[in-house]
Amino acid sequence: MEATKIRRLAGEARRSTLRALRDLLGGFGTAALALGVLLWLVVVAATSLIGIGLPLLPSALRALHAVADLERARLSRRGEQVLSPGPLPDRWRAARADPATRRELSWLAGHATGGLLLGALAIQLPVWAVRDGTFALWWRLIPADQATPGLGLWTVDDWPGVATVTLMGLCWAVLTVGLTPAMARLQAARGRRLLAPGPETDLSLRIAELTATRAAALDAHATELRRIERSLHDGTQNRLVATTVLLGAARRMLTRDPAEAEVLLERAQSSAEQALAELRAVARGILPPVLADRGLAGALSGLAATCAVPCRMEVDMPGRCAASVESTAYFVVAEALTNIAKHSAATHAGVEVRSRDARLRLRITDDGVGGADEAGGSGLIGIRRRIEALDGGLTVTSPPGGPTTLEVELPCGS
Amino acid sequence: MRIVIAEDDALLREGLALLLRAEGLDVVATAGDPDGFLAAVDEHAPDVAIVDVRMPPTHSDEGIVAAVEARRRRPGLAVLVLSAYVEQMFATELLAGGARGLGYLLKERVGRVEEFLAALHRVAGGGTAVDPEVVAQLFARTSPDARLDRLSPRERDVLALMAEGLGNVAIAERLFVSEGAVHKHIRSIFNKLDMAPDDRSDRRVAAVLRYLDGRERAS
Repeated sequence: MEATKIRRLAGEARRSTLRALRDLLGGFGTAALALGVLLWLVVVAATSLIGIGLPLLPSALRALHAVADLERARLSRRGEQVLSPGPLPDRWRAARADPATRRELSWLAGHATGGLLLGALAIQLPVWAVRDGTFALWWRLIPADQATPGLGLWTVDDWPGVATVTLMGLCWAVLTVGLTPAMARLQAARGRRLLAPGPETDLSLRIAELTATRAAALDAHATELRRIERSLHDGTQNRLVATTVLLGAARRMLTRDPAEAEVLLERAQSSAEQALAELRAVARGILPPVLADRGLAGALSGLAATCAVPCRMEVDMPGRCAASVESTAYFVVAEALTNIAKHSAATHAGVEVRSRDARLRLRITDDGVGGADEAGGSGLIGIRRRIEALDGGLTVTSPPGGPTTLEVELPCGS
Repeated sequence: MRIVIAEDDALLREGLALLLRAEGLDVVATAGDPDGFLAAVDEHAPDVAIVDVRMPPTHSDEGIVAAVEARRRRPGLAVLVLSAYVEQMFATELLAGGARGLGYLLKERVGRVEEFLAALHRVAGGGTAVDPEVVAQLFARTSPDARLDRLSPRERDVLALMAEGLGNVAIAERLFVSEGAVHKHIRSIFNKLDMAPDDRSDRRVAAVLRYLDGRERAS
């Protein structure tokens, strides 16, 4: 009982330490960039005083916004989303008056110094822990005057000294486990506080953006409903009407010419069967039952198996996404494979599906003739609409002569 | 009776032609799109056209547009429009130019062969045939014409059947009343709708159009 409890606690400590170290390391990366941008800004600002740096100011400000955006994206991946305050000015006069830019500058100064230091310490702590912890194993192998603990405070020449260094290694390890989560929070706190849109920020741009994608979603939804309505009215219903017409004709024929009535009944039956087949197709078009039964991975391998072109399928998807996202992914792959079979003359196709950080990424490739064009009515427009409706993105690379690659990114939405 | 059929669904088109030919009617041409239909009307000079509302290229109201154009080219051509569902707008669009020799039926009515043939003959003879579903929807709606509110429930029933295009005898049969009673109701309806007895227009049709007009003004 006690042992499992300790094991669980140790597991938790290891996970939170690793997570904190990863965050601190990422923060160290942006902090290093921030330091570069800070130095560049100082140089440009200083030379602007004598006029030379003035033309460089906009580019320096853009670099500031860029590194701030990097940090926003990093923080958003690691926790609560940090919204961008929208496009920021790159003219000095406007930037000086812009509170968001001023906060970015303040963040830059702090992150390039304190943030960098925290990141460096986060790298150093585990290194010391390992170095001093294992000191006993190798201290005899190095020249006697270099046998110092991690901090290099004194030279060790006897076993009591080695024991002290090993103890220090243990202390470093305890400090790593104990301090890094707080350090990671500290390093991120400045960015979370200063890079988020302030109270004065007009979020209407962001709202407009969201409204537009939402409208596109509703639009795609309406298109989808129209498609379903059409296939019901023009397909299934027509088959059923034809059935009743044939049945009506057969009834009237029954007394006059039973043999002919039999022929009509036969046709009525096959018409009803067609209605059933079309109804199945429509229902499958709304939400493929295979998706609900076997999940996206199973449904996609079914697609690959029936594809006319040999298709390699790799799915790496630990969890499930929202039903709308999975069905969109399914349709995108189905449509893309149909395109490949119809137009590409490819001999091999490949589909990769990965979900990471609440994003679902699809990569569909073929070794065909390329030259896929959205204006060519190749179904690419339909694919793009469905993806954009879910706030996702599509990149098509298809030079003449091939190969063609479709890259899709969808928010998992669950 | 020379008949042209315009229906884009091939199986349904052939099924219709088969049904009508089996009844000894003369189907002179069938068409799958509006252009083919208008060409057939020009070429074969039919008495009746059976037209599907939804046809290529957009599958919206091409059939109605084609039917109106066919009536313009060949005045007096009887048209029976078949629709997958009831759309008031189609009915008003179609009947705006007068209701003589016009019909608007749901597709599935074709399967009730006797009633369908009766409607077809009625339309070919210059009468009207409006689907009961259309009429039901008209009555379900609160009418912008206050005069309609004066009608008693029974009179509404009679008007509904009139709207479908039935004659007095048929109405009497459906409502299980005497022909005289139907006659009395109809006189009362005309009174309440302010239609003078000496009105020269086809009052039966006018009464129906009052609903459709009201609907049009309201929209």
